[in-house]
Amino acid sequence: MNLQLNDVQQQLLDSLTRLLGREYSFEKRQQYVTDDNGHSAETWRTLAELGVLGAAIPEAFGGFGGDAVDEMLVSQALGRCLSLEPYHGTAVMAAAALGAAGSEQQKAKLLPRIAQGDVSVAWAHGEAVPGGVSVQAAAGVEGWCVFGSKPCVIHGAGSDYLVVSAQVPDSGVRLFLVNGHSVGVQRDSYRLIDGTPAADVRFDGAQAELLDGDAGSAVIERVLALGISAACAEMVGAMQGAYALTVDYLKTRKQFGRLIGANQALQHRAVDMLAALEQSRSLSLSLALALAGRNDLATGPEQVHAAKVYIGQTARQVTQEAIQMHGGIGMTEEYAVGHYLRRVLVLDQLHGDTRYHLGCLEGRPRH
Amino acid sequence: MDLLYSEQHKAFRQEIREFIAGNLPDDMRQRLRAGGFASKADTELWQRRLNARGWGAPAWPKAFGGAGWDAAEQQIFADECACAPAPPPHIFNITMLGPVLIHFGSDAQREYFLPKLRNADIQVCQGFSEPGSGSDLASLKTRAERTADGYLVNGQKIWTSQAHYSDWIFCLVRTDPGATKPQSGISFILIDLKSPGITVRPIISIDGRHSLNEVFFDNVLVPAENLVGEENKGWDYAKFLLGHERAYIAGIGRSKERVAYAKDLLARLQAEGRPADMLAPWRGRIAMIEADLHALEVTQFRMHGGHADMKLSPMLKARGSEIFQAITDVICRMSGTDALRADTGTLTKSFLYSRAVSIFGGSTEVQKNILSATVLDLR
Repeated sequence: MNLQLNDVQQQLLDSLTRLLGREYSFEKRQQYVTDDNGHSAETWRTLAELGVLGAAIPEAFGGFGGDAVDEMLVSQALGRCLSLEPYHGTAVMAAAALGAAGSEQQKAKLLPRIAQGDVSVAWAHGEAVPGGVSVQAAAGVEGWCVFGSKPCVIHGAGSDYLVVSAQVPDSGVRLFLVNGHSVGVQRDSYRLIDGTPAADVRFDGAQAELLDGDAGSAVIERVLALGISAACAEMVGAMQGAYALTVDYLKTRKQFGRLIGANQALQHRAVDMLAALEQSRSLSLSLALALAGRNDLATGPEQVHAAKVYIGQTARQVTQEAIQMHGGIGMTEEYAVGHYLRRVLVLDQLHGDTRYHLGCLEGRPRH
Repeated sequence: MDLLYSEQHKAFRQEIREFIAGNLPDDMRQRLRAGGFASKADTELWQRRLNARGWGAPAWPKAFGGAGWDAAEQQIFADECACAPAPPPHIFNITMLGPVLIHFGSDAQREYFLPKLRNADIQVCQGFSEPGSGSDLASLKTRAERTADGYLVNGQKIWTSQAHYSDWIFCLVRTDPGATKPQSGISFILIDLKSPGITVRPIISIDGRHSLNEVFFDNVLVPAENLVGEENKGWDYAKFLLGHERAYIAGIGRSKERVAYAKDLLARLQAEGRPADMLAPWRGRIAMIEADLHALEVTQFRMHGGHADMKLSPMLKARGSEIFQAITDVICRMSGTDALRADTGTLTKSFLYSRAVSIFGGSTEVQKNILSATVLDLR
């Protein structure tokens, strides 16, 4: 049992925290929302320079050889500052998909560029029915083509590439790499409620490259597990942000001639937020360590579903309580606390919502 | 970063598992598993077997006949006992009184009591709460007046578990009613329950069972040498004592045992042909309680490993209580009307009794007050 960060992780976290403290205040973040590409190109470059984007990419492909634990640390920090950067799709999902399903050649082509921040990749898997894939792949003269639609692809409008899941006749669901700018890709872009850029993407015979490494049947499960772990960590970061604002507010806001934090009713609810946050932090840590293969307490495949449900629920609880305890100011666009709930709404839907994963735990048939 | 057990700890766990499997009487195990209490005889038998193996007092130093285990080993032992389920080492003898005597007792007290506590030759109970002093323990009124013959004790204790079959009681008593702070006029004293003037009356709890008592002291004369440590320092000793519950405060093993029971029950219902649609919500509920419990165990590791604030310790108590109550509730509900029978419905009785875990040992509300003041700095 050793929960100490190693030197590389400590250094990564320190420099990341400094960067975000400098470049990602809530005010700056709100300016990035209004930028055309919906994030801060400069921060993205710095994330690459600091080694954040390549933290979990193998050294052979230009990364630092870390794993799900490094992604947890980064995602938590990004969640806390309501990051808009395409980290999740590019550095977590695409890197995981290439790592799990890509050939050596495909890895060599993209992973170093991901680590350097030269390319952004979006994860286009989820559809209207969680767990279901209706996009079809067909083999043509010039290789594979994909047909169909993926709704709500995060950072899908501006991404250079998309990793797309599609049904392959007689072979089930496989992952493909599609150039975002190729013919037959139509992207209808919009912003999500938290400001994140997203797009509905239609594939009309777009050329696609099959990730044709040694792809077992559980590849998508594995990639999703890594994505869920990172999404959970990001929710923990968001909870931390909302919790910290709330405790500060309880110590500054006065009503009836005294600090509102002097009321036991509010003290106990703030303690409940703390407990939910710490429990979620522990669950997120345990999941990341399980995926990294260093957890004797790991509870098997159910752990992924349980973490998503648990943290999805606590993140809602904590961010909603944060708004309630702020009162009117918590309801305003110009104050940060409500934005944490907006972010949590998006993260809850990412990779299957609470209800879907609870269904998995209940042993109900999956689609 | 990892959550891996060392080879040494894995072997240690295995050794304990094997000992329990070979030494815990099956009827005792079945009784505990069905939600029953360990009887005086159960506790005596198990404590003596542990003691014969050298494990009677996990946290005591070897010089006093303890196992001398470190915190991690104590935790593994506590969890393995709870998972069996086997009774833990006698909570009042071993976890509470022993360490106080080792640190603050006289040589004579150590010599007389420690071997007997370890072997359950005497069983002690705890006299802290009073009718007017529950959460506000420092307001306690039971008076011990110094006389030429010793201390003259008058007053009443309540919620005294096991007083009806214990031999001794360790009490917090007021020795200086004029002290400036209520905490500073309290002493820690050992009283033989056979002393003239003591009356023990049963309290039947909502589960219909008898584990709690009231203890009345009417001019009970206690030899002066039964005072532990210094007069009026009892509050400090009590705080020290409560700090020794560390391996038990979250009740991880206790709740793990109940989760395993719930899963067995679910499998049995499935085998009996209950519809899948009826069982699915239970499966989900158990999985989520298990996740909560898993998170609490990791939180405990974070704290004990120095990677989370030790001030979070009241959270282990509060959340541990809620988790235990939740899984006990699920088991009771899943059992349906079978568990409702007053004669055989031990699962309902254990559910009803589970409502006490968020009250005793510092209620959940008190734990939250402490967290609010110490971690959040709200006052």
